[in-house]
Amino acid sequence: MIPVRANMTDRQLYGEGSGLAIHVRRRLPGFSLDVAFMANRQRVVLFGPSGAGKSLTLQAVAGIARLDGGRIVVAGETLYDSEGGINVPPQARRVGYVPQRYALFSHLTVEQNIGYGLHRLQATERQARVREMVSLMGLGGLERRRTSELSGGQQQRVALARALAFSPRILLLDEPFSALDVPLRGELRNELLNLEEKTGIAMMIVTHDLADAFLLGQRIVVIDNGRVLQEGSQEEVFYRPATRKVAELVGIRNIFPATVIAVEGESAYLEWNQVRLEAKNSSQGLQVGQRVDVCIRPTQIMIRRPEDAAFRGRMNVLDGAIVDEVINAETYRLFVRVTHSTNRSDLEIELPGNTYFRLGLDRNKAIEMSIRPDLLHVIPAAAPSP
Amino acid sequence: MTSIELADVRITLQVAGLATLFCILVGIPLAWTLARYRFRGRGLLEALVTLPLVLPPTVVGYYLLRGLGRSSPVGRFLEDDVGARLVFTWEGAAIGAAVLSAPLLIRTAQAAFEQVDPEVERVAATLGHSRLGIFFTVTLPLAIRGVGAAIALAFARAAGEFGATIMVAGNIPGKTRTLSVAVYDAVQAGDLQRANATALVLIAISLLSLLAFSQATGLLGRR
Repeated sequence: MIPVRANMTDRQLYGEGSGLAIHVRRRLPGFSLDVAFMANRQRVVLFGPSGAGKSLTLQAVAGIARLDGGRIVVAGETLYDSEGGINVPPQARRVGYVPQRYALFSHLTVEQNIGYGLHRLQATERQARVREMVSLMGLGGLERRRTSELSGGQQQRVALARALAFSPRILLLDEPFSALDVPLRGELRNELLNLEEKTGIAMMIVTHDLADAFLLGQRIVVIDNGRVLQEGSQEEVFYRPATRKVAELVGIRNIFPATVIAVEGESAYLEWNQVRLEAKNSSQGLQVGQRVDVCIRPTQIMIRRPEDAAFRGRMNVLDGAIVDEVINAETYRLFVRVTHSTNRSDLEIELPGNTYFRLGLDRNKAIEMSIRPDLLHVIPAAAPSP
Repeated sequence: MTSIELADVRITLQVAGLATLFCILVGIPLAWTLARYRFRGRGLLEALVTLPLVLPPTVVGYYLLRGLGRSSPVGRFLEDDVGARLVFTWEGAAIGAAVLSAPLLIRTAQAAFEQVDPEVERVAATLGHSRLGIFFTVTLPLAIRGVGAAIALAFARAAGEFGATIMVAGNIPGKTRTLSVAVYDAVQAGDLQRANATALVLIAISLLSLLAFSQATGLLGRR
């Protein structure tokens, strides 16, 4: 363990190569976990629905969950390797673990909580380090309080301070914002990012919240039912999902089946509801006649005004009619049936309230929509299971 | 009160005190193990722990008498090699009382430990503390109310024990006669005044011990 010296900057402690390689396997009654992913000096987000196995994976990295097998390498150091018989106990892993409900020591003060991991230091060093953390996390004045007297946001800061105090090699956060209300969430998200900038610490964050995943994840690992469905950058996971399931999980609400009718270089031409669509940049490996799923986010479909004249560049144009509307606080969700379709509705469009009014839209109104070819994402349809 | 009764009080407190100590040394680790671990044979262990609650105290005392006395190898070893004669001594009575009080302590302490969120202990482990360290710095302080109650129960029970203690230690005034036994003695002798007085003293001890421990742990365990 690197001894903590009060005059050492935290960036010096973390060094180079926060290479992360995780493979964890565990079989539980009714559930089987087999998750593998890698990352390098990035903020890693484990994203997926509840019960996917994200928390279990995080706990395995912390050394507090039993595994059947696998390998865990953090910052280039092997913490667990079932083949090599390595299993470093949690006490020696130097990880800063913050569970969902913080698990603060309710019988200790804020100061004592923060200093709990510093028991090997001399009293003066420990006090100095605790003071540093109190100042870093903005907890001044609360040092002597019991943790049960604090607000949710303050408790979270104490939990973070406690985890960071002994300069861990990585911060493991389980649903850090789920217990907080929306404005506080945004505030603490930014604080977390500032913290990372100031200290340079590596982070692995578990979340089922789409917004958290998008805003915090440099490398996003999508986990569902104990398996990794996709890992990649925000751009890749959110706009180029690899499978239909991932598309659903990242909130793409328009996923419809189509057939490939032609492939020309970067573009694939598809047929759907007697409409010809062009999808750019998703054409790799597609064969003519192949069944595919097409994805487009509700915010990426534009409604043309009748007066709109020619376009710049080629666009996919569809005719349809609005069949239903759902009004949220600031946005309108429109459900549209495309001409010639036999479904009740085919596409969902989301737009800001003032755009809705500016376009003079209304229920049952006939509209013309356009979609940029590079925003249509194509996923090969999964073979039907036997 | 006559001097005989004071000796009874002293002996009762000695027996209860030593019995409680035995219960703590053996019972607290057992309670924590039962609270935290799942293992094969756990059911059997829990049954064994509960057993003294349903066994007749005189039967427990009888088997202890046979097991600790000269007629058994254990008893012979203890007397000859260790120099400890346990039968007909207050220390022997304490062992008898301990066996009967242990289930109360273990079950109450186990429930107290189960109330402590295991997540808190897991976090403590990631912060570098050993399992033993975590027990003393986190688990025990958080469970102190229940553990204090468990100790108080054990003490009060041991102070009042009759069947096992009289079997193992007999009824020697000034040496092994506890207050419970003294009440029995007084009634046998027809001295109801002494019986009443002795019974009141015994009740007072039980109540005071319960009160003292819950007060103490209330102060320690205040969150």
